[in-house]
Amino acid sequence: MSKKHKISLSEEELVLALRNHEKIAVEALYDMYSSSLYGVISRIVIDTAIAEDVLQETFVKIWHSFSSYTTEKGRLFTWMVNIARNLAIDKIRSKDFKNQNKNQEIENNVTSIDSQRSTVYKPELMGVKELVQSLKPDQKSIIDLVYFKGFTHVEAAEELGIPLGTIKTRLRMGIQELRKYFN
Amino acid sequence: MEEIKAYIESGILELYVLGDVTPNEKRQVEEMASKYPEIKTELDGIERSMELYAKENEVEPSKNLRSRVLGSLLTNLGDDRNFTAAPRHTDVEDDTDIADEEDDNIIPLPARKENDFYKYAFAASLALLIASTIALVSVYSKLQDSNNQLVALQLDKQHFANRVNLMDKELSVFRDTSYKLIHLKGTAKTPSSVVTVAFSPGQKKVVIDMANMKMPENDKEHQYQLWALVGGKPVDLGVFDAKRDTITDIKEMKSIASADAFAVTLEPRGGSVNPTMDQMMVLGKY
Repeated sequence: MSKKHKISLSEEELVLALRNHEKIAVEALYDMYSSSLYGVISRIVIDTAIAEDVLQETFVKIWHSFSSYTTEKGRLFTWMVNIARNLAIDKIRSKDFKNQNKNQEIENNVTSIDSQRSTVYKPELMGVKELVQSLKPDQKSIIDLVYFKGFTHVEAAEELGIPLGTIKTRLRMGIQELRKYFN
Repeated sequence: MEEIKAYIESGILELYVLGDVTPNEKRQVEEMASKYPEIKTELDGIERSMELYAKENEVEPSKNLRSRVLGSLLTNLGDDRNFTAAPRHTDVEDDTDIADEEDDNIIPLPARKENDFYKYAFAASLALLIASTIALVSVYSKLQDSNNQLVALQLDKQHFANRVNLMDKELSVFRDTSYKLIHLKGTAKTPSSVVTVAFSPGQKKVVIDMANMKMPENDKEHQYQLWALVGGKPVDLGVFDAKRDTITDIKEMKSIASADAFAVTLEPRGGSVNPTMDQMMVLGKY
Protein backbone atom coordinates (compact mmCIF):
# COMPACT_ATOMS: atom_id res chain seq x y z
CA MET A 1 0.00 0.00 0.00
CA SER A 2 2.80 2.37 0.90
CA LYS A 3 5.23 3.34 -1.78
CA LYS A 4 8.01 3.31 0.76
CA HIS A 5 9.88 0.18 1.49
CA LYS A 6 9.42 -0.61 5.11
CA ILE A 7 11.57 -2.76 7.29
CA SER A 8 9.92 -5.99 8.19
CA LEU A 9 11.25 -8.74 10.44
CA SER A 10 9.74 -11.86 11.83
CA GLU A 11 8.31 -11.39 15.28
CA GLU A 12 11.04 -13.54 16.83
CA GLU A 13 13.78 -11.52 15.13
CA LEU A 14 12.15 -8.30 16.16
CA VAL A 15 11.79 -9.28 19.80
CA LEU A 16 15.42 -10.37 19.92
CA ALA A 17 16.63 -7.18 18.25
CA LEU A 18 14.54 -5.06 20.61
CA ARG A 19 16.01 -6.86 23.61
CA ASN A 20 19.48 -6.08 22.29
CA HIS A 21 18.50 -2.42 21.84
CA GLU A 22 19.38 -2.50 18.18
CA LYS A 23 18.51 0.57 16.21
CA ILE A 24 17.17 -1.39 13.30
CA ALA A 25 14.63 -2.88 15.71
CA VAL A 26 13.19 0.51 16.49
CA GLU A 27 12.61 1.25 12.85
CA ALA A 28 11.18 -2.17 12.18
CA LEU A 29 8.90 -1.84 15.17
CA TYR A 30 7.58 1.43 13.89
CA ASP A 31 7.20 0.32 10.30
CA MET A 32 5.48 -2.92 11.20
CA TYR A 33 3.06 -1.73 13.83
CA SER A 34 2.57 2.06 13.77
CA SER A 35 -0.43 1.95 11.43
CA SER A 36 -2.18 -0.85 13.30
CA LEU A 37 -1.61 0.83 16.66
CA TYR A 38 -2.61 4.20 15.27
CA GLY A 39 -5.80 2.61 13.96
CA VAL A 40 -6.80 1.88 17.54
CA ILE A 41 -5.48 5.15 19.04
CA SER A 42 -7.06 7.40 16.41
CA ARG A 43 -10.49 5.86 16.98
CA ILE A 44 -10.30 6.67 20.68
CA VAL A 45 -8.55 10.05 20.41
CA ILE A 46 -10.16 11.91 17.55
CA ASP A 47 -7.85 14.94 17.50
CA THR A 48 -5.03 14.04 15.09
CA ALA A 49 -2.30 15.97 16.88
CA ILE A 50 -3.16 14.44 20.24
CA ALA A 51 -3.56 10.98 18.73
CA GLU A 52 -0.09 11.24 17.22
CA ASP A 53 1.27 12.33 20.60
CA VAL A 54 -0.30 9.22 22.09
CA LEU A 55 1.27 7.06 19.39
CA GLN A 56 4.65 8.56 20.23
CA GLU A 57 4.07 7.98 23.96
CA THR A 58 3.08 4.42 23.13
CA PHE A 59 6.35 3.69 21.35
CA VAL A 60 8.33 5.36 24.11
CA LYS A 61 6.57 3.21 26.68
CA ILE A 62 7.04 0.05 24.61
CA TRP A 63 10.71 0.85 24.26
CA HIS A 64 11.23 1.60 27.95
CA SER A 65 9.24 -1.27 29.38
CA PHE A 66 10.24 -3.82 26.80
CA SER A 67 12.09 -5.83 29.43
CA SER A 68 8.74 -6.68 31.02
CA TYR A 69 7.51 -8.35 27.83
CA THR A 70 8.07 -12.07 27.47
CA THR A 71 6.93 -14.36 24.68
CA GLU A 72 5.11 -16.45 27.28
CA LYS A 73 2.71 -13.60 27.67
CA GLY A 74 1.56 -14.00 24.12
CA ARG A 75 2.10 -12.13 20.92
CA LEU A 76 3.97 -8.87 20.83
CA PHE A 77 1.15 -7.00 19.16
CA THR A 78 -1.36 -7.99 21.83
CA TRP A 79 0.93 -6.55 24.47
CA MET A 80 1.56 -3.36 22.48
CA VAL A 81 -2.04 -2.70 21.51
CA ASN A 82 -3.03 -2.87 25.18
CA ILE A 83 -0.41 -0.24 26.00
CA ALA A 84 -1.67 1.94 23.15
CA ARG A 85 -5.33 1.57 24.12
CA ASN A 86 -4.64 2.31 27.79
CA LEU A 87 -2.60 5.42 26.97
CA ALA A 88 -5.32 6.64 24.60
CA ILE A 89 -8.04 6.13 27.21
CA ASP A 90 -5.88 7.79 29.87
CA LYS A 91 -5.45 10.72 27.53
CA ILE A 92 -9.13 11.37 26.88
CA ARG A 93 -9.89 11.00 30.56
CA SER A 94 -7.06 13.26 31.66
CA LYS A 95 -7.75 16.68 33.10
CA ASP A 96 -5.37 18.15 30.56
CA PHE A 97 -7.37 16.80 27.67
CA LYS A 98 -10.67 17.92 29.11
CA ASN A 99 -9.34 21.43 29.70
CA GLN A 100 -8.00 21.52 26.20
CA ASN A 101 -11.40 20.65 24.88
CA LYS A 102 -12.95 23.47 26.86
CA ASN A 103 -10.73 25.89 25.00
CA GLN A 104 -11.95 24.80 21.63
CA GLU A 105 -14.52 26.69 19.65
CA ILE A 106 -18.08 25.79 20.38
CA GLU A 107 -18.80 24.46 16.90
CA ASN A 108 -15.75 22.23 17.11
CA ASN A 109 -16.97 20.96 20.42
CA VAL A 110 -20.23 19.79 18.97
CA THR A 111 -18.47 17.17 16.91
CA SER A 112 -15.85 16.38 19.47
CA ILE A 113 -18.44 15.85 22.16
CA ASP A 114 -20.32 13.62 19.79
CA SER A 115 -17.31 11.64 18.87
CA GLN A 116 -15.29 11.61 22.07
CA ARG A 117 -17.55 12.03 25.06
CA SER A 118 -20.76 10.42 24.06
CA THR A 119 -20.98 6.74 24.66
CA VAL A 120 -23.44 6.38 21.85
CA TYR A 121 -22.17 3.76 19.45
CA LYS A 122 -21.87 5.16 15.98
CA PRO A 123 -20.31 2.78 13.48
CA GLU A 124 -20.14 5.49 10.85
CA LEU A 125 -17.99 7.62 13.16
CA MET A 126 -15.66 4.80 14.02
CA GLY A 127 -14.68 4.33 10.44
CA VAL A 128 -13.94 0.68 10.90
CA LYS A 129 -13.70 -0.94 7.52
CA GLU A 130 -16.31 -3.37 6.39
CA LEU A 131 -13.85 -5.78 4.87
CA VAL A 132 -14.87 -8.63 7.06
CA GLN A 133 -18.18 -9.50 5.45
CA SER A 134 -18.74 -12.67 7.39
CA LEU A 135 -18.88 -10.76 10.68
CA LYS A 136 -22.47 -10.19 11.78
CA PRO A 137 -23.26 -6.57 12.69
CA ASP A 138 -24.13 -7.44 16.29
CA GLN A 139 -20.82 -9.29 16.70
CA LYS A 140 -18.86 -6.58 14.94
CA SER A 141 -20.30 -3.78 17.04
CA ILE A 142 -19.20 -5.48 20.25
CA ILE A 143 -15.69 -6.24 18.98
CA ASP A 144 -15.30 -2.69 17.71
CA LEU A 145 -16.56 -1.12 20.94
CA VAL A 146 -14.15 -3.13 23.07
CA TYR A 147 -11.19 -3.28 20.72
CA PHE A 148 -11.31 0.12 19.06
CA LYS A 149 -13.16 2.23 21.58
CA GLY A 150 -11.70 0.84 24.78
CA PHE A 151 -15.03 -0.13 26.31
CA THR A 152 -15.02 -2.92 28.85
CA HIS A 153 -17.41 -5.72 27.97
CA VAL A 154 -19.51 -4.60 30.95
CA GLU A 155 -19.76 -1.09 29.52
CA ALA A 156 -20.51 -2.51 26.09
CA ALA A 157 -23.35 -4.57 27.61
CA GLU A 158 -24.84 -1.43 29.14
CA GLU A 159 -24.30 0.56 25.99
CA LEU A 160 -25.95 -1.96 23.73
CA GLY A 161 -28.52 -3.07 26.29
CA ILE A 162 -27.50 -6.70 26.01
CA PRO A 163 -26.98 -9.15 28.91
CA LEU A 164 -23.38 -9.76 29.91
CA GLY A 165 -23.49 -13.43 28.96
CA THR A 166 -24.74 -12.60 25.49
CA ILE A 167 -21.96 -10.05 25.10
CA LYS A 168 -19.33 -12.66 25.94
CA THR A 169 -20.90 -15.19 23.59
CA ARG A 170 -21.15 -12.77 20.69
CA LEU A 171 -17.60 -11.59 21.30
CA ARG A 172 -16.38 -15.15 21.15
CA MET A 173 -18.46 -15.99 18.07
CA GLY A 174 -17.31 -12.85 16.34
CA ILE A 175 -13.67 -13.62 16.95
CA GLN A 176 -14.26 -17.18 15.75
CA GLU A 177 -15.64 -15.70 12.54
CA LEU A 178 -12.55 -13.52 12.23
CA ARG A 179 -10.31 -16.53 12.67
CA LYS A 180 -12.19 -18.36 9.95
CA TYR A 181 -11.98 -15.33 7.70
CA PHE A 182 -8.26 -14.84 8.14
CA ASN A 183 -7.47 -18.51 7.71
CA MET B 1 -10.19 -32.05 29.09
CA GLU B 2 -13.78 -30.97 29.46
CA GLU B 3 -12.48 -28.44 31.94
CA ILE B 4 -10.12 -26.93 29.41
CA LYS B 5 -12.85 -26.79 26.77
CA ALA B 6 -15.15 -25.04 29.21
CA TYR B 7 -12.40 -22.56 30.05
CA ILE B 8 -11.84 -21.85 26.39
CA GLU B 9 -15.55 -21.43 25.77
CA SER B 10 -16.04 -19.13 28.76
CA GLY B 11 -14.77 -16.27 26.59
CA ILE B 12 -12.08 -15.24 29.06
CA LEU B 13 -9.36 -15.74 26.45
CA GLU B 14 -11.06 -13.28 24.11
CA LEU B 15 -11.36 -10.73 26.88
CA TYR B 16 -7.70 -11.30 27.72
CA VAL B 17 -6.68 -10.50 24.16
CA LEU B 18 -8.95 -7.46 24.11
CA GLY B 19 -7.27 -6.19 27.27
CA ASP B 20 -10.50 -6.39 29.23
CA VAL B 21 -9.41 -8.48 32.22
CA THR B 22 -8.41 -7.74 35.80
CA PRO B 23 -4.75 -8.28 36.78
CA ASN B 24 -5.81 -11.48 38.58
CA GLU B 25 -7.62 -12.89 35.55
CA LYS B 26 -4.63 -11.91 33.45
CA ARG B 27 -2.26 -13.89 35.61
CA GLN B 28 -4.67 -16.81 35.63
CA VAL B 29 -4.95 -16.88 31.82
CA GLU B 30 -1.17 -16.75 31.45
CA GLU B 31 -0.81 -19.58 33.94
CA MET B 32 -3.40 -21.70 32.16
CA ALA B 33 -1.75 -21.01 28.79
CA SER B 34 1.64 -22.12 30.03
CA LYS B 35 0.10 -25.24 31.58
CA TYR B 36 -2.15 -26.37 28.72
CA PRO B 37 -0.93 -26.25 25.10
CA GLU B 38 -4.57 -26.31 23.89
CA ILE B 39 -5.21 -23.04 25.64
CA LYS B 40 -1.97 -21.59 24.37
CA THR B 41 -2.95 -22.54 20.80
CA GLU B 42 -6.43 -21.12 21.22
CA LEU B 43 -5.01 -17.90 22.66
CA ASP B 44 -2.53 -17.63 19.81
CA GLY B 45 -5.32 -18.05 17.28
CA ILE B 46 -7.37 -15.29 18.89
CA GLU B 47 -4.35 -13.00 19.07
CA ARG B 48 -3.45 -13.55 15.44
CA SER B 49 -6.98 -12.88 14.24
CA MET B 50 -7.26 -9.71 16.31
CA GLU B 51 -3.88 -8.60 15.06
CA LEU B 52 -5.01 -9.12 11.48
CA TYR B 53 -8.29 -7.37 12.23
CA ALA B 54 -6.33 -4.41 13.56
CA LYS B 55 -4.22 -4.54 10.42
CA GLU B 56 -7.37 -4.45 8.31
CA ASN B 57 -8.43 -1.31 10.16
CA GLU B 58 -5.04 0.34 10.27
CA VAL B 59 -4.73 4.10 9.94
CA GLU B 60 -1.45 5.48 8.72
CA PRO B 61 -0.12 8.32 10.87
CA SER B 62 1.38 11.36 9.17
CA LYS B 63 4.73 10.76 7.53
CA ASN B 64 6.81 13.10 9.64
CA LEU B 65 5.69 11.32 12.78
CA ARG B 66 8.05 8.46 11.92
CA SER B 67 11.20 10.54 12.29
CA ARG B 68 9.75 12.24 15.37
CA VAL B 69 9.04 8.95 17.12
CA LEU B 70 12.31 7.33 16.03
CA GLY B 71 14.14 10.47 17.14
CA SER B 72 12.58 10.38 20.58
CA LEU B 73 13.40 6.67 20.94
CA LEU B 74 16.92 6.83 19.62
CA THR B 75 18.03 9.72 21.78
CA ASN B 76 17.86 7.15 24.54
CA LEU B 77 20.53 5.14 22.79
CA GLY B 78 22.81 8.13 23.01
CA ASP B 79 24.55 7.31 19.75
CA ASP B 80 22.70 8.74 16.83
CA ARG B 81 25.69 8.71 14.46
CA ASN B 82 25.36 5.03 13.87
CA PHE B 83 21.72 5.41 13.08
CA THR B 84 21.27 5.07 9.36
CA ALA B 85 18.16 5.84 7.47
CA ALA B 86 16.10 2.86 6.48
CA PRO B 87 17.07 1.42 3.11
CA ARG B 88 14.67 2.43 0.38
CA HIS B 89 13.98 1.74 -3.23
CA THR B 90 15.51 4.36 -5.41
CA ASP B 91 12.89 5.09 -7.97
CA VAL B 92 12.16 8.65 -8.99
CA GLU B 93 9.24 9.09 -6.68
CA ASP B 94 11.19 7.94 -3.68
CA ASP B 95 14.01 10.42 -4.16
CA THR B 96 11.77 13.27 -3.22
CA ASP B 97 10.50 11.25 -0.34
CA ILE B 98 13.96 10.74 1.07
CA ALA B 99 14.67 14.43 0.78
CA ASP B 100 11.45 15.16 2.62
CA GLU B 101 12.25 12.62 5.23
CA GLU B 102 15.70 14.04 5.87
CA ASP B 103 14.31 17.50 6.20
CA ASP B 104 11.83 16.13 8.63
CA ASN B 105 14.59 14.70 10.75
CA ILE B 106 15.29 18.15 12.03
CA ILE B 107 12.51 18.96 14.40
CA PRO B 108 12.54 22.60 15.43
CA LEU B 109 12.03 23.04 19.12
CA PRO B 110 8.83 24.92 19.62
CA ALA B 111 9.51 28.47 20.68
CA ARG B 112 8.40 29.03 24.21
CA LYS B 113 6.04 31.79 23.38
CA GLU B 114 4.21 31.52 26.62
CA ASN B 115 7.26 32.48 28.67
CA ASP B 116 7.97 35.40 26.40
CA PHE B 117 4.45 36.55 26.75
CA TYR B 118 4.67 36.65 30.54
CA LYS B 119 8.02 38.39 30.36
CA TYR B 120 6.64 41.13 28.12
CA ALA B 121 3.45 41.33 30.09
CA PHE B 122 5.48 41.81 33.26
CA ALA B 123 7.65 44.48 31.66
CA ALA B 124 4.58 46.21 30.28
CA SER B 125 2.84 46.25 33.63
CA LEU B 126 5.98 47.52 35.32
CA ALA B 127 6.24 50.34 32.81
CA LEU B 128 2.57 51.07 33.26
CA LEU B 129 3.02 51.14 37.03
CA ILE B 130 5.91 53.60 36.79
CA ALA B 131 4.06 55.79 34.33
CA SER B 132 0.94 55.89 36.47
CA THR B 133 2.97 56.64 39.58
CA ILE B 134 4.57 59.62 37.83
CA ALA B 135 1.20 60.76 36.58
CA LEU B 136 -0.26 60.38 40.05
CA VAL B 137 2.52 62.43 41.64
CA SER B 138 2.17 65.20 39.07
CA VAL B 139 -1.60 65.28 39.40
CA TYR B 140 -1.23 65.32 43.17
CA SER B 141 1.14 68.28 43.12
CA LYS B 142 -1.21 70.11 40.77
CA LEU B 143 -4.01 69.42 43.18
CA GLN B 144 -1.91 70.83 46.02
CA ASP B 145 -1.24 73.96 43.98
CA SER B 146 -4.91 74.35 43.25
CA ASN B 147 -5.79 73.88 46.89
CA ASN B 148 -3.26 76.51 47.89
CA GLN B 149 -4.67 78.92 45.32
CA LEU B 150 -8.13 78.17 46.57
CA VAL B 151 -7.10 78.98 50.15
CA ALA B 152 -5.44 82.18 48.99
CA LEU B 153 -8.53 83.15 47.02
CA GLN B 154 -10.75 82.43 49.98
CA LEU B 155 -8.57 84.60 52.19
CA ASP B 156 -8.75 87.34 49.60
CA LYS B 157 -12.48 86.95 49.39
CA GLN B 158 -12.77 87.08 53.17
CA HIS B 159 -10.64 90.20 53.22
CA PHE B 160 -12.79 91.89 50.63
CA ALA B 161 -15.96 90.81 52.37
CA ASN B 162 -14.67 92.37 55.56
CA ARG B 163 -13.76 95.47 53.69
CA VAL B 164 -17.17 95.69 52.08
CA ASN B 165 -18.76 95.31 55.51
CA LEU B 166 -16.65 98.15 56.85
CA MET B 167 -17.41 100.30 53.91
CA ASP B 168 -21.07 99.60 54.42
CA LYS B 169 -20.74 100.64 58.03
CA GLU B 170 -18.88 103.75 57.00
CA LEU B 171 -21.45 104.57 54.40
CA SER B 172 -24.23 104.10 56.89
CA VAL B 173 -22.60 106.78 59.01
CA PHE B 174 -22.65 109.15 56.11
CA ARG B 175 -26.14 108.21 54.98
CA ASP B 176 -27.58 108.60 58.46
CA THR B 177 -28.89 112.15 58.59
CA SER B 178 -28.73 112.27 62.37
CA TYR B 179 -24.91 112.37 62.17
CA LYS B 180 -23.25 115.68 62.10
CA LEU B 181 -19.73 116.14 60.96
CA ILE B 182 -17.52 118.22 63.20
CA HIS B 183 -14.07 119.23 61.99
CA LEU B 184 -11.72 119.59 64.89
CA LYS B 185 -9.08 122.13 63.90
CA GLY B 186 -5.54 122.25 65.10
CA THR B 187 -4.67 124.44 68.06
CA ALA B 188 -1.69 126.76 68.12
CA LYS B 189 0.46 123.74 69.02
CA THR B 190 -0.29 121.84 65.81
CA PRO B 191 -2.09 124.18 63.43
CA SER B 192 -2.14 121.76 60.51
CA SER B 193 -3.89 118.95 62.39
CA VAL B 194 -7.45 118.03 61.43
CA VAL B 195 -9.68 115.39 62.96
CA THR B 196 -13.19 114.77 61.67
CA VAL B 197 -15.73 113.51 64.15
CA ALA B 198 -19.26 112.38 63.31
CA PHE B 199 -21.66 112.78 66.17
CA SER B 200 -25.25 111.59 66.41
CA PRO B 201 -26.91 112.86 69.56
CA GLY B 202 -30.02 110.75 68.81
CA GLN B 203 -28.06 107.50 68.66
CA LYS B 204 -25.50 108.66 71.18
CA LYS B 205 -22.70 107.72 68.85
CA VAL B 206 -19.34 109.31 68.20
CA VAL B 207 -17.24 108.17 65.29
CA ILE B 208 -13.77 109.30 64.24
CA ASP B 209 -12.77 109.36 60.60
CA MET B 210 -9.43 107.57 60.78
CA ALA B 211 -8.76 107.61 57.08
CA ASN B 212 -8.61 111.34 56.64
CA MET B 213 -7.18 112.25 59.99
CA LYS B 214 -4.17 114.56 59.96
CA MET B 215 -2.26 114.21 63.20
CA PRO B 216 1.42 113.85 64.14
CA GLU B 217 2.21 110.20 64.89
CA ASN B 218 2.17 109.36 68.56
CA ASP B 219 4.93 107.28 70.16
CA LYS B 220 4.50 104.08 72.05
CA GLU B 221 4.13 105.67 75.46
CA HIS B 222 1.42 108.07 74.39
CA GLN B 223 -2.02 107.92 72.84
CA TYR B 224 -4.50 110.48 71.73
CA GLN B 225 -7.62 110.84 73.82
CA LEU B 226 -10.93 112.24 72.62
CA TRP B 227 -12.89 114.37 74.97
CA ALA B 228 -16.36 115.81 74.85
CA LEU B 229 -16.97 119.09 76.58
CA VAL B 230 -20.33 118.95 78.28
CA GLY B 231 -21.28 122.10 80.19
CA GLY B 232 -17.62 123.10 80.31
CA LYS B 233 -16.52 119.75 81.78
CA PRO B 234 -14.41 117.24 79.82
CA VAL B 235 -15.85 113.72 79.39
CA ASP B 236 -13.59 110.88 78.27
CA LEU B 237 -14.62 109.31 74.94
CA GLY B 238 -11.74 106.85 74.57
CA VAL B 239 -8.26 106.72 73.12
CA PHE B 240 -6.90 106.19 69.63
CA ASP B 241 -3.63 106.06 67.75
CA ALA B 242 -2.74 108.41 64.98
CA LYS B 243 -0.94 105.64 63.18
CA ARG B 244 -3.51 104.72 60.66
CA ASP B 245 -5.20 101.43 61.40
CA THR B 246 -5.17 99.34 58.23
CA ILE B 247 -8.40 97.55 58.88
CA THR B 248 -10.73 100.27 59.94
CA ASP B 249 -11.34 103.59 58.32
CA ILE B 250 -13.62 104.73 61.08
CA LYS B 251 -13.50 104.14 64.79
CA GLU B 252 -16.47 104.26 67.04
CA MET B 253 -15.79 105.96 70.37
CA LYS B 254 -17.65 105.84 73.69
CA SER B 255 -21.20 107.02 73.50
CA ILE B 256 -22.48 110.31 74.72
CA ALA B 257 -25.84 111.98 74.42
CA SER B 258 -24.81 115.60 74.07
CA ALA B 259 -21.68 117.65 73.73
CA ASP B 260 -20.84 121.27 73.25
CA ALA B 261 -17.43 120.66 71.75
CA PHE B 262 -14.88 117.93 71.07
CA ALA B 263 -11.17 118.02 71.74
CA VAL B 264 -8.21 115.67 71.43
CA THR B 265 -5.27 115.71 73.82
CA LEU B 266 -2.06 113.70 73.91
CA GLU B 267 -2.07 111.55 77.02
CA PRO B 268 0.01 108.70 78.43
CA ARG B 269 -0.94 105.36 76.82
CA GLY B 270 -4.31 104.19 78.10
CA GLY B 271 -5.65 107.69 78.62
CA SER B 272 -6.06 109.92 81.62
CA VAL B 273 -8.98 110.77 83.86
CA ASN B 274 -8.56 114.47 83.23
CA PRO B 275 -7.24 116.01 80.04
CA THR B 276 -3.79 117.49 80.03
CA MET B 277 -4.82 120.86 78.71
CA ASP B 278 -1.45 121.97 77.49
CA GLN B 279 -1.34 118.87 75.23
CA MET B 280 -4.57 119.76 73.43
CA MET B 281 -4.04 119.11 69.76
CA VAL B 282 -7.39 119.90 68.09
CA LEU B 283 -10.65 121.43 69.12
CA GLY B 284 -14.03 121.86 67.44
CA LYS B 285 -17.39 123.11 68.53
CA TYR B 286 -20.58 121.21 67.93
